[in-house]
Amino acid sequence: MKFKYLGKSYNRPDAIAKVTGKAVYLDDIRIPGMLHAAILRPEYAHANILNIFTEEAEKMPGVVKVVTGKGCKYHYGDNIRDLVPMAIDKVRYIGEPVAAVVADTKANAEAALAKIKVEYEPLPVYIDGREAMKPDAVLIHKENGQYWHLPHIKPTPGTNIANTYHLIKGKGAEGFKDADVIVEGDFHYPLGSCAAIEPHGAIVWFKEDHTIDVWSSSICPFIIREDLAHSYGVPVSDVRVRIPDIGGCFGYKSDITVEQTIAWIASFVPGRPVKWVASRKEDITSTLLGHGIHSKMRIGARKDGKLVAIQNEVVHTGGAYADTPVNVTMAATHNCAGGYEWEHCDLIGYTVYTNTPPVGAFRGYGHQEGQFAVERLMDILARKLNMDPIKLREMNYLSEGKTNSLGEMMWKTHGDIRQCSDYVKEKVFSKPKPAEDENYYYGRGFAAVSKSPKGAPFSTKGCYMKMNIDGSVNVSMGGAEVGQGLRTVVRQVTAEALKIDPERVRVYNDIDTLYSPYEWQTIGSMFTTQGGRAIIRAADKLIAILKNTAAQVLKTDVDYLEYDGEYVYLRNDPSIHVSVKEITRGYITSDGITVGEMAQAVSDARLPRYMNPDANGQGSLGVSYTFGATAAEIRIEKKTGKVIVDNFTSAFDIGQVINPQQARGSVTGGVTIGMGAAISEKVEFSEDGKILNPHLFKYHIPTYKEAPKQDVEFIENPDAIGPFGARGIGEHSVIGPAPAILNAIYDAVGIDFYEIPVTPDVLKKALESRQEVK
Amino acid sequence: MAEKISFTINGQPTTVEVDPEMLVIDVIREVLNLTGTKRGCDNSTCGSCTIVVNGKATKSCNMPVKKIAGADVLTVEGLAKGMELHPIQKAISESGAIQCGFCTPGIVMELYGLLEANPQANQTEIENALNKHLCRCTGYEPIRDGALMAQKLIQDRK
Repeated sequence: MKFKYLGKSYNRPDAIAKVTGKAVYLDDIRIPGMLHAAILRPEYAHANILNIFTEEAEKMPGVVKVVTGKGCKYHYGDNIRDLVPMAIDKVRYIGEPVAAVVADTKANAEAALAKIKVEYEPLPVYIDGREAMKPDAVLIHKENGQYWHLPHIKPTPGTNIANTYHLIKGKGAEGFKDADVIVEGDFHYPLGSCAAIEPHGAIVWFKEDHTIDVWSSSICPFIIREDLAHSYGVPVSDVRVRIPDIGGCFGYKSDITVEQTIAWIASFVPGRPVKWVASRKEDITSTLLGHGIHSKMRIGARKDGKLVAIQNEVVHTGGAYADTPVNVTMAATHNCAGGYEWEHCDLIGYTVYTNTPPVGAFRGYGHQEGQFAVERLMDILARKLNMDPIKLREMNYLSEGKTNSLGEMMWKTHGDIRQCSDYVKEKVFSKPKPAEDENYYYGRGFAAVSKSPKGAPFSTKGCYMKMNIDGSVNVSMGGAEVGQGLRTVVRQVTAEALKIDPERVRVYNDIDTLYSPYEWQTIGSMFTTQGGRAIIRAADKLIAILKNTAAQVLKTDVDYLEYDGEYVYLRNDPSIHVSVKEITRGYITSDGITVGEMAQAVSDARLPRYMNPDANGQGSLGVSYTFGATAAEIRIEKKTGKVIVDNFTSAFDIGQVINPQQARGSVTGGVTIGMGAAISEKVEFSEDGKILNPHLFKYHIPTYKEAPKQDVEFIENPDAIGPFGARGIGEHSVIGPAPAILNAIYDAVGIDFYEIPVTPDVLKKALESRQEVK
Repeated sequence: MAEKISFTINGQPTTVEVDPEMLVIDVIREVLNLTGTKRGCDNSTCGSCTIVVNGKATKSCNMPVKKIAGADVLTVEGLAKGMELHPIQKAISESGAIQCGFCTPGIVMELYGLLEANPQANQTEIENALNKHLCRCTGYEPIRDGALMAQKLIQDRK
């Protein structure tokens, strides 16, 4: 299908503001009378708090208030209400807020912080979910099981297991009886940081009129609003949350993160706005981390390569609070089946409390972690079957008419994994691999990708659209622009839906819960699909209003009329027409009497028939999956063990491409993040729970010179729900790199790795011990 | 204690009265309210705070303000002439180099320091300059494209 404004690389509406330094991010906001907060973090990752002495801090210059968690009566959370804004009687991780100073300047607040003295009684520390879930482990939350939680969450009281999710398809593990060949592995995707270049921050202001104003670098303003209203007993309408430009998210600015803590602090200085912005160290130690997933997986196939069964035990080092990790664990568990059909699945996922920062989304909810395991095992299985690894995959791809682990049927409109796979196979594997030379080993590895949607029963996205007197249009939505290019998508989809030039569409910038249409949260690569559908619905309503007005002007029936963006006209005689500009505010007749409605419309779009998991852990996630295929071409430096990713190829079936430049940019960025996870990124802990590398010069994210050359291809089988057949492409590209690169490492040197990152040290050691074996 | 320190910022002579050890980034952001210069880390790793001092791209987050006394300082706000973008801004805004935009001002200033001094900068010089900056969004490819487009625009201008 041909579209006028889609498939074209229009420039971002926010590009000029960003390149001139005029875009306003959280730390750029200044409010008259604003105070600054600094937050004290504990010396221990798990300890009872015996005493906090604040007197000396209170005497320091510029100090307005010193705050502790004493007296806090509420817990909060969307899935499990186990969070507190500030430690009350114990600390559970090394970045937890223990106390705070509010002062006139940030420097004064930080200086006073050093004067607070805390007495602790240290407790045993768990940095690994496998240790923490043992029956004799000391409880991190003695209240586990008593907290309010969503109905499908199953805590085990008396243990550190916050949730167990169990999915059975077919005969479950019994299905392995039908397998001729079984392979297994114990995989680990360690804790990492999303490490957006803008750290988290928030401003909270308890006003004298009992309303609460909040600004945050968050993608969930409406969740923050409801959460704070609940905690502070005010109507939801009286909490106003504003979201300025956001300097990258990648997951860890979703859900409620720092806002409740800043609100707690600000509640002690009513009438004054309080600002807090994380240092990089705090961004890593005190906001959400990603991953932390052990997968003990086995897969079985018949001799001919037909897959029959998959079993996985996911143990998630979820962190000190389980509200945010539960969804990651569950999605890691059902998504680990990857882009393949299995007749039998037995997949269990444990979210375990540990003394590490809580885990949240990281460019997906568990998608990378589960498929890291299955894509590595597919290569290992192929070797055991003596088959080509891509051929083995081709036999088993989750294609039209097959069902996934959740029992959802795949349709052509979910996209075609085989087409993606064929592209990558041809592009990367049809040529010979470079031969080993004096300095390098060479390898190539493949990984297929499947990405589930992510929603909730109420996960809708709203749109408000108004057409102005000159035919230009303003669109307001609740979707957060984090860099993904959402504003461009809104502009192009609106233009297409209303048949007007994108230059005539002005897209909202900030989100303000006082004015913006409701949106659950901007997560899960769902904005294009759902937000785009909401735009089409609003546009259809707006066009209907224009036609109704035109019918009165042209003295005819509505269904005889057509709309082309410029005119509404009689279908059988287009010379009978009225221009859109004349009817946007109703039509003013020659005597001033006005007929018709304002051309404005509100709509929303939820996920069609989304449901919670049933007794077997199965259900419907409501909308299309997205499939892809990837391959890494690498070199390993013999001297150092360093992996260099020379080329990375990705193909995704994202339906109709809306903006090719942005879609490509999303993939090139995601691949680079995935590569970082595979070869360099890991948040390191000491045994006692301290974070050893909370700085960007120690937590190494890829630089310009390390980024691979990339080949990116989009297959465009149209989606059934997304606007004009489009699907999202936010998170998909980070899934393939780790398994593809590790498969390439095996191809290069014949060593299987089950854990990332494969740093030069790790690889060099493995190469040396391999030589010893020889 | 506070001292008077004078310098030129974006062409405007200015005097601030601050602790001479105060970091340049804090003077720029908190005293002069020029918030285009960004802070992304604690120890001059990310490059987001890059400004141009006497024609040279410089990280502002580890330099005390006393070091810029008498200097000619340029921040991202000083590049455009009214509505007319600097060629580097034009190229970077069109190449796909901008996603979240938080690393953008630092990269723009880095390229300004490089390309205004040496419009013929070779590939290695451009790569070395960009390698001083962290971007988490783009994978760097469109930033390179933008740098090369900018170089061409600057060469054509001269």
